[in-house]
Amino acid sequence: MTRMSATRGLCMRTMMELDQSCSVLREYGSEQSLLSKPDGSSTFVQGDTSILAGVYGPAEVKVSKEIYDRATVEVLIQPKMGLPGVRERAREQCVRETCEAALLLTLHPRSSVTVVLQVIHDDGSLLSCCLNAACMALMDAGLPMSHLFCGVTCAISKEGQIIIDPTARQEKECRALLTFAIDSAECNVLISSTTGSFSVQELQQCIAISQKASEQIFQFYRDSVKRRYSKIQ
Amino acid sequence: MDTIHACFKEKIGEVLLPGDVFSFRLPESGDGSIKSEKIICGPGLRRNGEEVRVCKSGILRHKQPNMYWIDSQQRRYVPAKGESVIGIVTTKSGDVFKVDVGGSEQASLSYLAFEGATKRNRPNVQVGDLVYGQFTIANKDMEPELVCIDSCGRANGMGVFGADGLLFKVSLGLVRRLLAPQSEIIKDLEKIFPFELVVGMNGRVWVKAKTVQQTLIVTNLLETSENMTSQQRQTLFKRVAEGSL
Amino acid sequence: MRDTPLSNCERRFLLKAIEEKKRLDGRQTYDYRNIKITFGTDYGCCIVELGRTRVLCQVSCELVPPKDSRPTEGIMFFNLELSPMASPAFEPNRQSELLVMLNRQLERCLRNSKCIDTESLCVVSGEKVWQIRVDVHVLNHDGNLMDAASIAAISALSHFRRPDVAIQGRDITVFSPEERDPIPLSIYHMPICVSFAFFLQGSYLLVDPCEQEERVKDGLLVIAMNKHREICSIQSSGGIMLLKDQVLRCSKIASVKVSEITELINKALENDKKIRKEGGKFGFAESMPKERITTLKREEAPVEMADVKETANEIVNRTETPTEVVSSPVLVAMGTAQVGEGIVNSWGLDEDEEDEPQTEDTKTDDVMVISDSEEEEVVILNEEAQKSTKLSKRK
Repeated sequence: MTRMSATRGLCMRTMMELDQSCSVLREYGSEQSLLSKPDGSSTFVQGDTSILAGVYGPAEVKVSKEIYDRATVEVLIQPKMGLPGVRERAREQCVRETCEAALLLTLHPRSSVTVVLQVIHDDGSLLSCCLNAACMALMDAGLPMSHLFCGVTCAISKEGQIIIDPTARQEKECRALLTFAIDSAECNVLISSTTGSFSVQELQQCIAISQKASEQIFQFYRDSVKRRYSKIQ
Repeated sequence: MDTIHACFKEKIGEVLLPGDVFSFRLPESGDGSIKSEKIICGPGLRRNGEEVRVCKSGILRHKQPNMYWIDSQQRRYVPAKGESVIGIVTTKSGDVFKVDVGGSEQASLSYLAFEGATKRNRPNVQVGDLVYGQFTIANKDMEPELVCIDSCGRANGMGVFGADGLLFKVSLGLVRRLLAPQSEIIKDLEKIFPFELVVGMNGRVWVKAKTVQQTLIVTNLLETSENMTSQQRQTLFKRVAEGSL
Repeated sequence: MRDTPLSNCERRFLLKAIEEKKRLDGRQTYDYRNIKITFGTDYGCCIVELGRTRVLCQVSCELVPPKDSRPTEGIMFFNLELSPMASPAFEPNRQSELLVMLNRQLERCLRNSKCIDTESLCVVSGEKVWQIRVDVHVLNHDGNLMDAASIAAISALSHFRRPDVAIQGRDITVFSPEERDPIPLSIYHMPICVSFAFFLQGSYLLVDPCEQEERVKDGLLVIAMNKHREICSIQSSGGIMLLKDQVLRCSKIASVKVSEITELINKALENDKKIRKEGGKFGFAESMPKERITTLKREEAPVEMADVKETANEIVNRTETPTEVVSSPVLVAMGTAQVGEGIVNSWGLDEDEEDEPQTEDTKTDDVMVISDSEEEEVVILNEEAQKSTKLSKRK
């Protein structure tokens, strides 16, 4: 691929930069209802990472996928280059399980909820961005949910420092990468997806940080929905 | 003021998100005279034990005496009993028509459910026609069923329509605003020029004005009034009425 | 999923409107919808919005061995995908007629027109060439996918930079963008597709049809042209008879449209280049329309991490260390070793060891049942009416 030797020259970052960027959620933004066709859509941008999500549902379901007492959830992640592979499938499963946990699927039996996520740009924390985009799109589609969810990614650097919302660069350098989906009701962890090695202590720290960060993301959700309804009296 | 209403009243008109909770643990005062209070939870609110949970994002609305619901701007329709919708006939099979109403399943419409229809005298309905009907059966477990007559067997405005005019889709929130009694949008729009309007609860709107041009103007005005304050809307409508657009 | 069917009423209205030279969105017959081109932070990535139609294009490259028939030419690969996001009618991984048609047309427009110098993509003749891959994703379908896709593809190709390479003997070194500036592709000309929809057996024509208009059209004519007025490909579908004059008129309209669009693309490219040079912010995040009420942006937000360590410690300390299972390897037979429980057969043990009511005990702590499955008598220590009746029934 294009970034064959991009890793070189990355080690030259100063500690200053590290200190600044480790405990900060990058600039983030979102737009809702931007596509005309899907029932709900949103983009979620975290720094340069950007995901576009479209949701259809509750819609018609294929007979082979029909479940008699609840809705079928399908999640598709489309990479920017090439066809979806194993990595996308794994992410799809994470997002699908999170959605299933949050949605009240029994209210719409024998129907389907399809979430399509298009990667617009990957600059780290992709899975958490997918989760956030999916949640906003589900909200926009007006599907009944018992609570909201958000995704937070933490990276543990070689020095043992925890970096929240890492960029692609930081992800490459880190020793371990942990992504959590956190629910809005009790700040519980819905799913966790981790790579690399870390101690129990570090895991708990990451969870605690993610829970703190999730409050800000939920506040962001609230602000953006408020803004959206601001013109309706 | 009683407790349950109080915690709802505080939030009327506010934007709520799924997962927000109203909890109303009854005060365990010693006298034992627990006053039973009733509230009716509309769309977007669900009871969960001793609390009411919000399950859709939107604005909390209240209607006297004790109705509460969430007003959201979703686009996908979910059939509800008694609601009137605009459907598109997709197939004729045997005794029933299959009608697309925008929900997860097609609704069925019996050919006898038209005014004056008998086994001999079948109504003239073609595939692709528009029908305005009401749900008699609509729940999550059954196929929804439409009728084009009221309980007295009268058409009462329902049935096949739309020989000309234009059908388009808007959000369900806008449709509810259009259908609200004394709807401001419709009132403002009526001042420009006369037109015919059919609004289905499923987000479909049919418009017919004197000319094609006028129909298109009404359509575009309705579509744009989704995200406008009433002031913005009025200035826009005024400009249209003056012919500057 | 099924797409919403088109009603007779819409069909009639659309045709009537077309006869009266009116369009749904107030456009004139030869008007395009608003075109917006946004470039991403990566080279070779852009989103094109054509009214409500939206496509994403990403160009990437890879070193591959060339085709045997053309050892000195790079390879162009086009892949257009109809994402199920774009319309409920699009199913993932299905080769629909529309998909094949669009892919084929895109190839004809961009590869067969030889607008890109493929010979410059050769690194070592017969061994290594660049393969340029163009991925087009349709994000929202509101008609005229072809024009949107072709604009996106050519914009992305013009924006794309491939890494620089150096050849020393048989070694090929690929330089990262930090080491050497990446190189743009050499593009001879920019072919752009312009679609014309015909109605009522060709008596009316519209440029840039929207989705509803496409649904009632009788035929479609797609002309790919560059700004030098050279036709790169022309395709008529729908089985409609067109007169010579009509085709000529269309090509004249196309030439005007193409020069307008080319200018727009160049402007967008220049703008992006300028911002990159100045070191300003660019990319999709910057191009979000901030004035819309559906959009919200937030600055970087610090997350308080001060007491995280304490909370983590607390949780870790609170959880008891799991009791270590002491297990010694058991040698069952020669050459095998097992660790863990369940090795020694416990079936032969006394019956009262596998106590059934254990599960019941955990559920209801206050009811203690001492029972022996064979015995008749049941003794209940805590008197609870319900329980005893239940148990007596069972008896």
